[in-house]
Amino acid sequence: MKAIIIGAGLGGLLSAARLSQAGYQVDVFERLPITGGRFTNLNYKGFQLSSGALHMLPHGPSGPLAQLLKEVKADVRIVRSDKATIRMPLKMSRPDYGKGFKDIYFNDFFTPLSHRDRMKIALLIVSTRKSRPTGSTVNAWVRTQFKDEWLVRFADSFCGWSLSLKSDSVPVEELFEIIENMYRFGGSGIPIGGCKGVIDALEAVIASNGGRIYTKTEVSKILLENGRAAGVVVGDKIYEANLVISNLGHAATACLCSEALSEKTYSSYLKMLENLQPSAGIKICLAADEPLVGHSGVLLTPYAKRVNGINEVTHVDPKLAPPGKHLTISHQYVAPENVKNLEAEIELGLNDLREIFPGKKYEVLLIQSYHDDWPVNRASSGMDPGNETPIPELYVVGDGAKGKGGIEVEGVALGVAATMKKILC
Amino acid sequence: MKINDNCVGCGQCASFCKQGAIEVKGKAKASAACVECGICFFYCPVKAIEVSP
Repeated sequence: MKAIIIGAGLGGLLSAARLSQAGYQVDVFERLPITGGRFTNLNYKGFQLSSGALHMLPHGPSGPLAQLLKEVKADVRIVRSDKATIRMPLKMSRPDYGKGFKDIYFNDFFTPLSHRDRMKIALLIVSTRKSRPTGSTVNAWVRTQFKDEWLVRFADSFCGWSLSLKSDSVPVEELFEIIENMYRFGGSGIPIGGCKGVIDALEAVIASNGGRIYTKTEVSKILLENGRAAGVVVGDKIYEANLVISNLGHAATACLCSEALSEKTYSSYLKMLENLQPSAGIKICLAADEPLVGHSGVLLTPYAKRVNGINEVTHVDPKLAPPGKHLTISHQYVAPENVKNLEAEIELGLNDLREIFPGKKYEVLLIQSYHDDWPVNRASSGMDPGNETPIPELYVVGDGAKGKGGIEVEGVALGVAATMKKILC
Repeated sequence: MKINDNCVGCGQCASFCKQGAIEVKGKAKASAACVECGICFFYCPVKAIEVSP
C-alpha cells in the first residue's frame, strides 16, 4: 500500500510516521526547503526562534501529541513545565500593571473572587463535569454564571494564549473539553530542542521505516480515479497512491482537486469551507540576560491591553538561546478587524511588555505575525470540520482539522490519531 | 526584491537572510543591506517574495 502526504508540517509528519510504521510506503512532498511548517525552529542571531508554535506542548509529556510520538517510537524528551502563573494588578481597583503587580498560581485563579463566587466555582467544578454546558460561547456562559469582570479577563487571556481567540468566539463545549483534557493529561511541557526536536525525531522514524521526504517539491494537483483519491501531480510527473493525506487545511486541499469538487454533490462541502475562519496572532520574541518570567510555565497577563501570555522556554532547554541568555516569547490574539492594523497592534503589544517587565533589560529579537494563509490556526478551535473530505481516500490533517478540545498541536495530534484509526482499522 | 500583499509578517525570510537585511513588523521589508541573493524567496511560506531576475 502506498500513501502520499502533501505538506511536511507536524500533522503531515505524524501521519507519515504512523503510516510508515504500519507498513505503508510513504512519500511526503513539501513545497518549502524546510520541513516542520509552523512547528520548527528558526535560527535567528543564535536563538532558536520558532516558525509558529511557542516551543510548548499544551499537555506536556502525557498529552495526545506526546502519546502519538511514543506510539510511533519518536525519540524526543518532553519536560513538564513549572506551574503556570497569572500576573495580577496590586490593587484590583486599578485594572493594569502601572502601579505594580503580584503573581498568583493558575490553579488559584478563584482567589480574587468574593466568598460567594468561590463557593459557586466549587459547585460548578463538580456539576459541570456531570453535565457540560452547551449552546453558548465561553464569554456568554461566564457572564450568565458570574457578575465578575475578573473571570471574563481570565477567560480572554487563557483563550487568547492557548487558542488565539477571544472568549466570545470559543464555543463553551470546546472549553469544557479542554478542561477535561487538563484533568486527563495535565499542564504544558517543553520538548528538548524546541519544536525542531519533535520534527527531527519524526523524520528519523520516517527514514527508518523506509519513508521518503521531498522538500522543494510542490504538488499541483490531486488525482482522482473512479471518484477516489489515487495520486498527485508534481511538475509533469504523476505519483500514484492508495491514499492521499493533505496537511494544507481543507480550503487549500480543495483547490488541488477543484475540477472534481465542482460537481453539484460537493456544493455543501465547498460552502462550509467558505465559512472557515483562520485565527490570527502576534508573537514577540525577546532576548534577556536575566530571566523575565522566571519559570518554565506560562505567565498569563489578563490585565495587559493585548499580550495574553508569555513563556520562557530556556529554563528547560538553555540551548534554545546562546549561553547565558534567555528566550522569552509573548503571544497576543489579533481580532479579525485588526488584521489590517498589525503595526498598531504590535505597538500595543510592545507597550504591554514594557508594563509587564518594568525596569528589566531585554532586546526585541523578532516580531512575527500570523493570519490568513499562514495563520495561528487554519480553523478556529471548536470550528474544525474533521479529517474526512467528500472524496474517499483523501484526508486532511493539521491545524485545519484538529480534534475536539485539543489546544493547538494537541488538536493536530488528536486529528491525526483519529484519521489513522479510520485508515488502519 | 519585492514583497507583495501575500506577506503576513511571519519573519521566516528574516531568519534565512544571510545579510540580516530583512526587517519585520506586520510585514517584511528589505533594507539597503539586501544584495538580491534571492534566498528568502525559497523560504517564504505564502509566496510573498518576488525576486528580480
